[in-house]
Amino acid sequence: MTQLAQYLVGGLATGSLYALVALGVVLLYRSSRVLNFAHGDIATLGTFVAFTLLGRKLPFSLAVAGGLAAAALVGVLFFFFVLRPAKEASLLGKIVLTLGLALVLSGAVQVIWGTDTLVFPFPLSDTRVHRVGQVVVSETSLGTIVTGIVLMTLLYVLVQGTKIGLAMRAVAQSADAAQALGIPARKIHALTWGLAAALGGAAGVLLAPVVYLDPFMMLDPFLKGFAAAVMGGMDSLPGAVLGGFLLGIAESVFAGYISFKFKTTMAFAVIILVLLVRPEGLLGRVYHRRV
Amino acid sequence: MRALTRFMFAVAVVAALSATAVGQPAERGVTPTEIVLATSMPMSGPAALWGTGVGGGVDAWLRHINDQGGIHGRRFRFLIRDDAYLPPRAVANVRELVERDGIFGLISSIGTANCFAIRDYMVETKTFWITPACGADIWAGMRERNKFLFVTYPGYVDEGIYLTRYGVESLKAKNIAVFYQNDLYGQQGLLGVKRGIAQVRGAKLVAQVSYEVTDAEVAAQALKLKESKADTLILYATPRHGALIVREIAKVGYQPTIMSTFTLLDPVMFALAGEAWNNIYLATYIPVPGMGDAKVDATLATLVRINPALARNPFNAAAGVSFVESFLEGIRRAGPSLTKDRVVAAMESLKNWDGEVIRGVTYTPESRQGINRLFMVKSERGQYTKLTDWYTYPRKF
Repeated sequence: MTQLAQYLVGGLATGSLYALVALGVVLLYRSSRVLNFAHGDIATLGTFVAFTLLGRKLPFSLAVAGGLAAAALVGVLFFFFVLRPAKEASLLGKIVLTLGLALVLSGAVQVIWGTDTLVFPFPLSDTRVHRVGQVVVSETSLGTIVTGIVLMTLLYVLVQGTKIGLAMRAVAQSADAAQALGIPARKIHALTWGLAAALGGAAGVLLAPVVYLDPFMMLDPFLKGFAAAVMGGMDSLPGAVLGGFLLGIAESVFAGYISFKFKTTMAFAVIILVLLVRPEGLLGRVYHRRV
Repeated sequence: MRALTRFMFAVAVVAALSATAVGQPAERGVTPTEIVLATSMPMSGPAALWGTGVGGGVDAWLRHINDQGGIHGRRFRFLIRDDAYLPPRAVANVRELVERDGIFGLISSIGTANCFAIRDYMVETKTFWITPACGADIWAGMRERNKFLFVTYPGYVDEGIYLTRYGVESLKAKNIAVFYQNDLYGQQGLLGVKRGIAQVRGAKLVAQVSYEVTDAEVAAQALKLKESKADTLILYATPRHGALIVREIAKVGYQPTIMSTFTLLDPVMFALAGEAWNNIYLATYIPVPGMGDAKVDATLATLVRINPALARNPFNAAAGVSFVESFLEGIRRAGPSLTKDRVVAAMESLKNWDGEVIRGVTYTPESRQGINRLFMVKSERGQYTKLTDWYTYPRKF
C-alpha cells in the first residue's frame, strides 16, 4: 500500500506538470483552433531567460517573472507578426507555422545558451523530503504540485469569473460575432497567446529543477502534455488538468508494477482507448453545428 | 617522321604524368599541406555532455598540433557533425563526411547504437575509424575486416565484469541492482554485470531497471530500485540520467553502495548531482584530470587555453585526446609520404606506447584493441581518488 501511495505521489508531481503544459495547449486551441507545436520551445526559452536573470543575481521571483514575461512576449509577437499576417492561411498552414517557430526557437536557444546540461537554481530542495507515514515527498515535488494547482485555479477563475475570461470564451465561440459585439477579438487572441506561453514557461521553470535545464528538456513533457490535452478533451480546461494528472499517475503506476520499457507506450495506448470510447476526450463536448 | 616524333612526344608526356602520379599517391583527405579528419557526435540532445567534451577535446588538441606546425608540414582540418545521439543521423553524417567531404579518417563517434549503425559502412569504405566510443565488444569476431579500425576504448562488458568483481571482492556486494539505458550501451553493461556475477561466488542480480534515453525523469525507477533492497547499485546511464537517479534514490531514502561506468566520470557530475555524487566507485581507463598525473593535467591546461569551455568538462575533454593521439603518432611514424598502408604499418608498430593521456597502447596485425586495462577510482568531496592499480582483461579483437 505504501508503495502504491509512493507511486501515486510521484505520478501527481509529474501529472501536475503535464497538466500545466496541457492547459497552455488547450487554451490556444479553444480560441484559435491552432495546435501550437512551439509550446515546449517557448517554455524552454522562458526558462533559460529566468536562468540568465538568476545568474545576474536577481531575486528568484523577479527572475521567474522575467522568464514568464519573455515567454508571453514571444507568444504575443508570434501572433501579431506571423499568425495575423497569415490569417488567410489554412488551419494546417498555421500549424506548420508553429512548427517553424519551434525550430527557430530551439536553434536560437542552442546558439545563445549552448547545449550543456545545467542546474537550475531553485529555492526548494529536491533532496530535502517530507514524510507522511512511509510516503516521501520532496520539497520540490510538493512545491510543483501546489504551484501547479494554484496556477490552474487562477486560470480557471480568470476564464470563468472575469470579464476578460468572458471575452476569451466569446472569442473562442465565434471571433466574428464577438467582434461585432464590441469585443477586441485581436487583442483577446494576443492575450490568449501570451497567457498560454506564460503557462508553458511556468511549467518549464517547475520542471527544470527536477530534470535539469537544457534546450531539449521540454521534448518529452510537451509530448505528454499534448497527449493529456487530447485525452482530456481539446476544448476543456478541466479536461486538460484531469488528463495531465491521469497520464502522470498511469505512467508512474504502470512503470512501478508492470514495465518501465513500455510506460510511454502504455500512456498512448490508454489515450487510444479513451478516444475510441469518447472521441471528444474525457471532458470534451461534441459541438453540433446548426444550419 | 613528323608523326613518329609526335607519337614519341605523347608517350613521353603520358609517362611523365604517370611518374608524377606514382611519386605522389593521392590519398582521400590528404594534400601536401592538409589532412582532413571528422567526427559525428551528439553535440545536442541527451548525450551532449559527452559530445561537446570529447569532440571539443579532439578539436582543441588538433588545433594545438596545428599551432606547432602540424605533422610533417600537414595541418589538420577537423569537421564536427551533430548526430544528437540518434543512429539515423549518425549514418547520414558519416556518409556525407566520407562521400562529400572526402575525409581521411573518422575520429570516434559516440553511442554504441550509433557505432553499430555505421559499422559496416565504415568497413566497406575502408576509411580509418579511430576509437569509436562504444562498447568495444561489438568489434569482436570482425578481425579480418578491421584493417582501418583502431580502438583505445574499453568494452562495457569487460568493464561490467570488472565493476562486479571489485564490488563483490572488495566492497562485499551481495545483492546487486543495475540501472541501465535501454539500448546497446546499457545492455552491454548489464551483460557485463551478469557475467561478472557468474564469475564470482556469493552475489546475485536482484534488479535490472531500465530507462529510455528520452525519459525526462526517473522517479519510478528509483522506487523500484529501493524495493529491490540491493546493497549495490551499478549505473550505465547518460550523465543527466545518472545524476537524476542518484538524486532520486537519495530522496526516497535508499542508500546502496553506488558503482558506475567511466562514462560518468566527468566532474560535471558533481555539479549536476551535488552531494549525491559522493562515495561513488567508478572504473577508468585513463588517469583522471586533477588526480595527480602531471602529463594529463598539462594536456588539460593546453585544451582549456585553446577552448576555455572545456574546463567544465575536463574528463571528457582529456578522453578526446586519448581517442586521437595514437593515430597522430601513427601519422608521425608513417613519415612525409602519407598513405593509408604506411599509417596502418606505423600504427601496428605501437607497442605499450604512452601518449599524453592514453597509456600502454599496443596494436598488432591481428589485434586492433589498443588497450585492455582499467583501474578503480572513488568520488570524494568533489574529487576523485585512485583506489587500485591496473586491472588487465583479455584482448578480444
